[in-house]
Amino acid sequence: MTDMLQKLKNAVRSRSIHVAYVDTGSCNGCDIEVLACLSPRYDLEQYGIYVHNNPREADILLVIGCCTPQWEDKLKGIWEKIPEPKAAIAIGNCPVSGCVFNREGSYVNPPASKHIPIAASVPGCPPRPTEIIRAVLSLAPTIFADYEEKRQ
Amino acid sequence: MGFSIIWYLREFLRAEWLRNFFFAKTAPLVDPPYFRGYPALTGKECTHCLSCMMICPTPGAIEVLRDGETWTPHIYPGHCIRCGLCVEACPEDVLDAGRVLETQKRDRTDISVRYQVTVNPDTCVRCGNCVVACPVNKEADPQLGAGGTSANDEVIMKIHRGNLWVVHDEKCTGCKTCESVCPTTAIRIARVAEGRQEVGK
Ligand code: SF4
Ligand code: SF4
Ligand code: SF4
Ligand code: SF4
Repeated sequence: MTDMLQKLKNAVRSRSIHVAYVDTGSCNGCDIEVLACLSPRYDLEQYGIYVHNNPREADILLVIGCCTPQWEDKLKGIWEKIPEPKAAIAIGNCPVSGCVFNREGSYVNPPASKHIPIAASVPGCPPRPTEIIRAVLSLAPTIFADYEEKRQ
Repeated sequence: MGFSIIWYLREFLRAEWLRNFFFAKTAPLVDPPYFRGYPALTGKECTHCLSCMMICPTPGAIEVLRDGETWTPHIYPGHCIRCGLCVEACPEDVLDAGRVLETQKRDRTDISVRYQVTVNPDTCVRCGNCVVACPVNKEADPQLGAGGTSANDEVIMKIHRGNLWVVHDEKCTGCKTCESVCPTTAIRIARVAEGRQEVGK
């Protein structure tokens, strides 16, 4: 019985992934690519991925931008608001390396993995919408499958 | 009433609609061929001229590393912004991304790079260190004087009548040895990169 329930949960979770995104100081290029995922051409919702900007509802946090000092504690706060099971994906070069902003005298503090645990990163400046969708789709089943059993 | 419910059910339970609802997968999840991805090696030989590293706008994106007897450019995802400038700047076509090389051939464009040598006359003390240190000068005039004087007009710069003259800055290779030996940071090397297009035949 629990097996059946778990299987049902896995199936439902892999077809209903709620995503919140947070821009911690990027040029907006990656935000626009995330928005492009919602457009009819890529149509994210056919995969059961929904974008909400509410961490309380989210399963996956997309981190965009190179973590300016003002965002350090706020990014942690947003991460803690997301209910388990959860995962964070770094979108673009900024949360990986700081990209072109990471120069001497810049007021940025990458990588994002310094501040919250990052499960995957999608490099690119900006990454293509297909790359973003591919990352979310390949990450979601492994993160959310059998969550209750893994926790025990 | 009964008829319209049946009509609705029949309308909405069409097999095609149900299939699309449960198994929808229509988005093109492949990259189109013209997509400019990370520059990839074409297999041509790299001459270690470092034009690619110098044109790259992003810190830490490209490095030309020694690989046994040869040199190979390495691109780091997470840093590289896929601008394709290194592909355009490379004189040997070692790298390619998307249609960059193809377009460059078709439009006959290239990137020309020259170096501008500027000396601040207010802070220069005419010591001649820069003249003596410059590897191009040494090549051009092996009999270079210790104070930076030269009887030769082929040098990049020389001390003449108590002043520093820049005569051939088009020969500068941008090594910046002169900057590193100048006691007053009076000499500055600026790289000027220009996109060019060959017009007509
Ligand atoms: S594509 Fe642009 S950012 Fe990437 S290595 Fe080449 S020059 Fe640098
Ligand atoms: S890849 Fe091209 S530009 Fe870069 S060092 Fe080699 S030959 Fe020069
Ligand atoms: S940059 Fe190098 S080649 Fe150019 S003037 Fe200075 S020492 Fe000479
Ligand atoms: S090394 Fe500096 S101070 Fe000396 S001659 Fe050259 S520019 Fe002038």
